Amino acid sequence: MVSIRLPRLFEKKRGSRRTGSQAWGRAGEACFYAALLAAGMVFTAMLGRRIVEAPGGLASIGLWMWLLTLLLPGALLSIGGSGLARLIHGWGRSEEGMAALRRFPEMFQPSGRASEAEPFPSVPPWENLNNSPGTILRYRLPLESPESWSVFGFGLFAVLWNAVVVLLAVTAGVGFVGGQTDWLLLSILVPFVAIGVAGVVIFVRALVLQTAVGPTQIEIADHPLRPGDRCDVYLGQGGRGMFRRIALSLELEELATFRQGTDTRTERRVVHEIPFAEWRAISIAPGRRFEERASFEVPAEAMHSFASLHNAVTWRIAVHVEPAKWPRFTRHFPIIVLPQRTGPALLNVPPSRLAVVGSGR
Amino acid sequence: MMSGSLQERLEPRVITEFDRPSRRYDPEETVRLRYHVTGTGDAVVRVIERSALWYSEGKGEEDLGVCFFERLTDPQGLPPHTRRGEFAFRLPASPMTYEGTIVKIRWCVRIRLFFVGRRDFVSEHVFDVGELPPVQLPLQPRAVGR
Repeated sequence: MVSIRLPRLFEKKRGSRRTGSQAWGRAGEACFYAALLAAGMVFTAMLGRRIVEAPGGLASIGLWMWLLTLLLPGALLSIGGSGLARLIHGWGRSEEGMAALRRFPEMFQPSGRASEAEPFPSVPPWENLNNSPGTILRYRLPLESPESWSVFGFGLFAVLWNAVVVLLAVTAGVGFVGGQTDWLLLSILVPFVAIGVAGVVIFVRALVLQTAVGPTQIEIADHPLRPGDRCDVYLGQGGRGMFRRIALSLELEELATFRQGTDTRTERRVVHEIPFAEWRAISIAPGRRFEERASFEVPAEAMHSFASLHNAVTWRIAVHVEPAKWPRFTRHFPIIVLPQRTGPALLNVPPSRLAVVGSGR
Repeated sequence: MMSGSLQERLEPRVITEFDRPSRRYDPEETVRLRYHVTGTGDAVVRVIERSALWYSEGKGEEDLGVCFFERLTDPQGLPPHTRRGEFAFRLPASPMTYEGTIVKIRWCVRIRLFFVGRRDFVSEHVFDVGELPPVQLPLQPRAVGR
């Protein structure tokens, strides 16, 4: 009985995972890239022929024009050619084989083994967290501030949108002065102005919230940390006036990036929150700042920090601030937690000839 | 009717035996295992790939990292001549097996058989690195899509 699986017209798909036959998928991809390559070759041949047959040859159309006309066939040739080369390179290889080939080409040499190891594969590098010395404790942690990008985004939107509004307003004003009132333009201008004003208000509010309360400084005594480690923390909070509450906690967040259709989405979820210090009814005098010390312990059975291409597990110190006159906010300071100690010689083990890990694909 | 023709329907199986029945290892330990390939009949296997890797599961796209990879092509070392094999590899210091809520990390050994004139067959055998307890949400999950 012949058991050839024909390609299905419809299949489930999420991101790069598919339920269909990989062989058929690759064959389809190969046909697509081959068609692009063939089209590029045909266009190039046609152009070459026209140039050769033209009276005066290349000089008649000019070098720049000739290069310009090569853009489209050149793009087709490069996309088709590189796609086909990638397919041929991966043809007959498994996903593990491809991952190994990308990370350790030496594995495919006659010796068949990788030659060096990272000390903690898939743990994010921590050099950038350790390069700022603290004033009280050893390391000053950098602020992880997605809010700053939000403020930048609001500002950019406000500027671009209002530039369009000004352009429309000038056009409408010139017409009005010239005695020709364009009512259609004016009716469009009204909602545009409203959105422009709202954009400016949102931007100014975000900017004030970001800057009014004052900077937050976190320093720690040791870094990177291990499960079970206890670590001292120094908190410095700028600003003036009353604060209802300032609290510190240690958080573990999971982050997953996935594709939905053509969108790339990222989901974050805090799976552990360990509060370790809290102060209430704080008054900060002008020119001073709130300074306190505390300590926390990384849980003994904690997962280490992890990052790959689409997934991450991150540890961070969260500073929750509730000013009396402003909305509450949280600022995050990432830290790195290394894997549990499995023996006294963990860091002194020579690199294995076999055990090497790559990440992502 | 069973025959050696291309139309024969195979039911390959790879039975593995880890040196530790619990299949739980610490980072940087050496894992040793034996395997036995059955159900391939007279079909000719042209390549066997033996690999150890971690992969992510959960909401995000799958990532994987290869720790050990070996490709056997000598016909004398492949079914139907040889149906048994063994190999060993040393685990890295990380990542550890993790059972999170939207991110999970699993370790496995994969044995992949490439047949002549047939679709390849892969057998996956999961083991644990480290002994982390699964995450249990102590607080209301806060999910933010962007």
